[in-house]
Amino acid sequence: MNHTIDEDYCNEKKFSKFFLDNSALLRNYMYYKCGDKEFANDIVQDAFLKFWDNCKKVIPGKAKSFLFTIANNLFLNEYNKSNVALTFKSIPQKKHTHETPEFLLEEKEFGEKLQKALSNLSEAQRTTFLMNRIDGKKYKEIAKILEISVKAVEKRIHNALISLRQEIENI
Amino acid sequence: MGKNYFLAKWLSGEITEATLKEHVSEEEICAYKKIISATDQLEAPSYNAQEALEKIKKLHSEKTVKKLNIINYFYRIAAVFAVLIASYYFISTKNTSYKTNLAEKIIFELPDQSEVHLNADSKITFKAKNWENSRTLYLKGEAYFSVKKGTEFTVISNMGSVQVLGTKFNVIERDRFYEVNCYEGLVSVTSKTETVKVPAGTSYKILNEVSKFSNNTNETMPAWLQNNSSFKSMPYKYVVKELERQYNISIEYDVKYENNLFTGSFIHSNLELSLEAISIPLNLKYEIISDKKVHLKLDETSYNKF
Repeated sequence: MNHTIDEDYCNEKKFSKFFLDNSALLRNYMYYKCGDKEFANDIVQDAFLKFWDNCKKVIPGKAKSFLFTIANNLFLNEYNKSNVALTFKSIPQKKHTHETPEFLLEEKEFGEKLQKALSNLSEAQRTTFLMNRIDGKKYKEIAKILEISVKAVEKRIHNALISLRQEIENI
Repeated sequence: MGKNYFLAKWLSGEITEATLKEHVSEEEICAYKKIISATDQLEAPSYNAQEALEKIKKLHSEKTVKKLNIINYFYRIAAVFAVLIASYYFISTKNTSYKTNLAEKIIFELPDQSEVHLNADSKITFKAKNWENSRTLYLKGEAYFSVKKGTEFTVISNMGSVQVLGTKFNVIERDRFYEVNCYEGLVSVTSKTETVKVPAGTSYKILNEVSKFSNNTNETMPAWLQNNSSFKSMPYKYVVKELERQYNISIEYDVKYENNLFTGSFIHSNLELSLEAISIPLNLKYEIISDKKVHLKLDETSYNKF
């Protein structure tokens, strides 16, 4: 089969497809890490450029984790802010539109509490939990991308949920 | 077995809520549900992947251009070295050539001490480097070779080539005339159409595309080495040309004599004697018009004699 063509990320078409398939996830992952949209965008750009430069070194089947490793390294080299403040867009849900103003206010408050609690999670817990919830990635996929075991992903999710609950109760 | 991350398992649907209740209170489950549903409503800031991709393509192509420039720079340096190496190679393997003018003969030795006599208006070119391994030279005109024994010795000219190991032979290549005279040993001659062996005492010639062997060489060296040109059944034009070469003059004569066959010889040291030698047999007489010009025409007086 055309294995080599299939795996050659130097090819612009192949690269473009790879970019469109994965850039949003990487951007979000970076955003979950630092809460800085612009910075996350920059990291994504640099990471993909570096990925393209090293397209010959990509091991077949390891492209995604290679990309995330590059991005993580860039992040570690360039990021020195410790203060993470996430802001999310909330998707308004139809069933809530007829709720009482009190309920809506409570919802809003809860949302704020949640965002604060998310910001206070450890970086590993936050990224893993949000990739699962917001980007809809399965534990197995996350494990592969981050090159950790599924068990480690489960641990992060588990602990993230516990932390979030405790944090929200305490606020 | 490690820890049981039941919350994660429950979240991914691997265990049911009922199973979860073994670990967590109902109140807590309610709190988790609320957290999860609220989180699920969140959305990361918008991201335009297509736009980002275009930007990356642009940045990448700029980078590539820059890289190419660096490559060009190295190529430039490499080119300089290539030229230096090439010119060194060229100089070291440069052709050596010996050339004679009209009315000039020279004798020289090749790097292996083989001796070459070069007749007038002739040229020999060879590569002195690595001569012992590749004894090949290019000849225009006429030359006599006394070759020292060794590797194959090749004389290439337009109309053929001669291969020998060690021997004495003469090669003439003039216009469409080619002649190889062998005086010692055996030479192999390759023309455009055939390869023949020419043993000592014989000659092989090609004239007007016709090749011919003769058994005429009784001499031990060509006549011209003793300042004498001798011909046997040669078209007159070659004879005249040779005389022109030996004396550096130009001779005018009627073209109708061009292909008359001439047998005889002339010496290289006396012009008038030589002119007589070539004009009398054809019933011509010569007239020296100037220092460099001679006219041959029908000798009316001698014609009247007959």
